[in-house]
Amino acid sequence: MRINKQPPPQTTPRRSDEPIWWSLFSAGGVCVAMLVPAIALLVLLGIPLGLVSAEQLSYQRLHALVFHPLGLGVVLAVIVLPLFHAMHRIHHGLHDLQLAHGRLAKWLCYGSAVLLSSLALSLWLTSG
Amino acid sequence: MSRKPYQPPMPASWWLKHPAYRFYMLREATVLPLLFFIGSLLYGLYALGQGEASWLQYQAWLQQPWVLALNGLALLASLFHAWTFFVLFPQVMPLRLGSRTLPAWLMVSAQWAGVLLVILALWWLLGGLDAHQ
Repeated sequence: MRINKQPPPQTTPRRSDEPIWWSLFSAGGVCVAMLVPAIALLVLLGIPLGLVSAEQLSYQRLHALVFHPLGLGVVLAVIVLPLFHAMHRIHHGLHDLQLAHGRLAKWLCYGSAVLLSSLALSLWLTSG
Repeated sequence: MSRKPYQPPMPASWWLKHPAYRFYMLREATVLPLLFFIGSLLYGLYALGQGEASWLQYQAWLQQPWVLALNGLALLASLFHAWTFFVLFPQVMPLRLGSRTLPAWLMVSAQWAGVLLVILALWWLLGGLDAHQ
């Protein structure tokens, strides 16, 4: 009997997909910290509270701004990346609270981020 | 291989037991107003694409008190999240200038200056400056 048994030949280790989700989470975090205060203050509160004037911000002007080719970058920065950021945090939050762990929770979280992002992109592409 | 590894019990309420854990959970909870914020933007993008009538409908939706309250909460939550995020940056990635490390307060204030700059730029873009002339 040999004293040092050789370990069985190693099969290819399963690669973790965490770097993908973490990179999207991290990029989204920067966007959330830098851009969300401005959008929340000036668009979601500023329009109804009159912080930006309704005459200046006509429908035509806002439509032209959002559906300008550069607007795609804005959609990515304020909707798509924050979605992946948020769903990553919810995925890990569900684990922290011991509400759900495992494959299903992960698929639901990142799946809804992918679905809602595609919705945002298709809204932007079809309405432009 | 141990026969019976000790597994300490971990109740779901673990995060209530220490102020630092509660702070962590409060920070993580800012994701909920953030989700509402993203939903509001998605609805807005849809309304803007549908035409002027549906955009006016969206503006009326934004004016409802509960929507205003939740979006106000989203603003506060985003500022709180930004604060915890900005304080982390100099610890995770200290910047060196020659042999000296940039002081943390400088990096944190530079990031807040960035937030302010984005607010001013967006205000200008949306025509806020012209409104008072």
